[in-house]
Amino acid sequence: MSTTAIADRPIETRSGSLPDTLGAVGATYYWELRKLIAQKRTWLGLAAAAIVELVFLASIEISKVTPNDGPYADPMGQGLRHSGLALTPVVLKEVAYFGPAIIAALVSGDIVANEDGAGTLKTILVRSVRRGELLAAKALALFTYVIAALLVFAITGVVAGTIAWGFHPLANITGTRISAAHALALTFAAIAVYAVPTIAIACFGLLLSVVTRQSVAGVVGTIFYALALTGLAALPAIKSARPYVLVTQLHAWHGVFETPTGWALIWHAVWVSALYAVPPLVAAWLVFRRRDVVS
Amino acid sequence: MAAPAFDEAKPVEVRGLVKRYGRLIAVDGVDLTVERGDVYGFLGPNGAGKTTTLRMLLGLIRRDGGSIRLFGRDPADPLHALAGVAGFIEEPRLYPYLSGRANLQLLAALDRGRAGRAQVDEVLELVELRERAGDRVSQYSQGMRQRLGLASCLIRRPSLLLLDEPANGVDPGGIRFLRALLRRLSDEGMTILLSSHLLAEVQEVCNRVAVINNGRVVKEGALADLVAAGGHAYRLQATNLPSAADALRPLEGVQELRREDDELVFTLGSGDDTVEVTRALAAAGVGISALVREQATLEDLFFRLTGAAAPAGDREAVAA
Repeated sequence: MSTTAIADRPIETRSGSLPDTLGAVGATYYWELRKLIAQKRTWLGLAAAAIVELVFLASIEISKVTPNDGPYADPMGQGLRHSGLALTPVVLKEVAYFGPAIIAALVSGDIVANEDGAGTLKTILVRSVRRGELLAAKALALFTYVIAALLVFAITGVVAGTIAWGFHPLANITGTRISAAHALALTFAAIAVYAVPTIAIACFGLLLSVVTRQSVAGVVGTIFYALALTGLAALPAIKSARPYVLVTQLHAWHGVFETPTGWALIWHAVWVSALYAVPPLVAAWLVFRRRDVVS
Repeated sequence: MAAPAFDEAKPVEVRGLVKRYGRLIAVDGVDLTVERGDVYGFLGPNGAGKTTTLRMLLGLIRRDGGSIRLFGRDPADPLHALAGVAGFIEEPRLYPYLSGRANLQLLAALDRGRAGRAQVDEVLELVELRERAGDRVSQYSQGMRQRLGLASCLIRRPSLLLLDEPANGVDPGGIRFLRALLRRLSDEGMTILLSSHLLAEVQEVCNRVAVINNGRVVKEGALADLVAAGGHAYRLQATNLPSAADALRPLEGVQELRREDDELVFTLGSGDDTVEVTRALAAAGVGISALVREQATLEDLFFRLTGAAAPAGDREAVAA
């Protein structure tokens, strides 16, 4: 650092153009991922996603459940013990309501509040990144985490199931027999559909994280949000509105395993999930861009 | 609106700054002007409004009134406000689960990636942390975190450095290091605005100061002028201190009379007043063992302006 380096240094400013903004979001997103990777809770969430498949597999192996009870009663459950590819869809159906809430809550409720509590928010907000860019990068990192957790879930199920029961064809939800390779592709397509409402739940967690500034409130609040929606969906009084409740969309992946493919169910889930995802994101941005950072 | 040219703008220009929290007015019409090349001390007791002011300067909290210009730019402008500016509030907070180097790389990336590995190494060398750069920050001592915080500012290559209590939790060796570093940066042309409780340190490194109390700037100017205007302090050792105090209290030139251990300490506005002091003591039958003149310090000025209590056990009020 020479004398001229400081005294005669021109002040560098950002242009604010779209490429400049995208570059800022991209750089911040990369480091948000690095931060997630460096934290134990991230690995805890990923491990939980894997363990749930293994626990389910083990319970099937050692249980005395007859082939027409429990998970076997599910159309795809008939494939259990016959094809490893049946494991992930069946487990996905069993954990559909509470699984995504826990996975999404673990990071979404914490991703801003943690930095607020630790004081690192004030460290990064005095750099050359705008608040909106930072929040966008955090949201993208959060979505990446959700997708990664679901991929870990699917891959663990496919690998463990294949090791236990082999890589064989199976019948889909409508009873049509599909090849093993086709079932494998549909498994990941189903995960993609399942990720959409899960991300919508994560968006609400992000809002809680911004508003509450407390990790515990953000995490627990997100879980309660998902549980409350589940309870709401179960009320007989709102039966006609049930298709528009967010948690109902957690079953839209069934459309992937139907013959013909249930595209209407899938697209319905996409736009309903978007309706639940966008308002919390906008609200989070409105709060975050103007709030005082005093931690 | 186009920002003024960098060369023409003052590093810091604050006018009528106000911040309210409900009924509490934390900052009440603060004016500050920091000139290029200044090492500017921002002093005040706890709760005076220093940190709140610095938070507003760095755009972390919104002001309720007044204006702020950093190199002519308003911190409310999210894109350009902090160009050429770096700093931290209260203490640098970094990611404990990342290494020191990764923290700097992260922050450099948020500055749009203008710092390469060589520049990271350069600032690590500057704060003497290069050997520990690969360790997680959770393994750093408080002093090392403070130095890494400084490095995180310097990696931005700022022209203006805003530091809030940079010597907090730093041991004497760390304070000496910090003092040397700030002098070096100042010599290199950097403008520095720092708040601190360590008045002796401020007196060592700052050329100008502002003293804030109850949200208002009560004194501002060149440090040398302020201290000189504070007059001289005198230490008196005498045969009977209570009688000496009674004799001195009525004198017009005697101010801030107090007892410290076995001495009386007071200030005199003029050197001529010592004649009056000795006459009054003689008239009261008090024998003078020693009467020593000392230059008033920044600490004296601080306590006078803020009305803050002297450290317990250090000073004992002379009973009226």
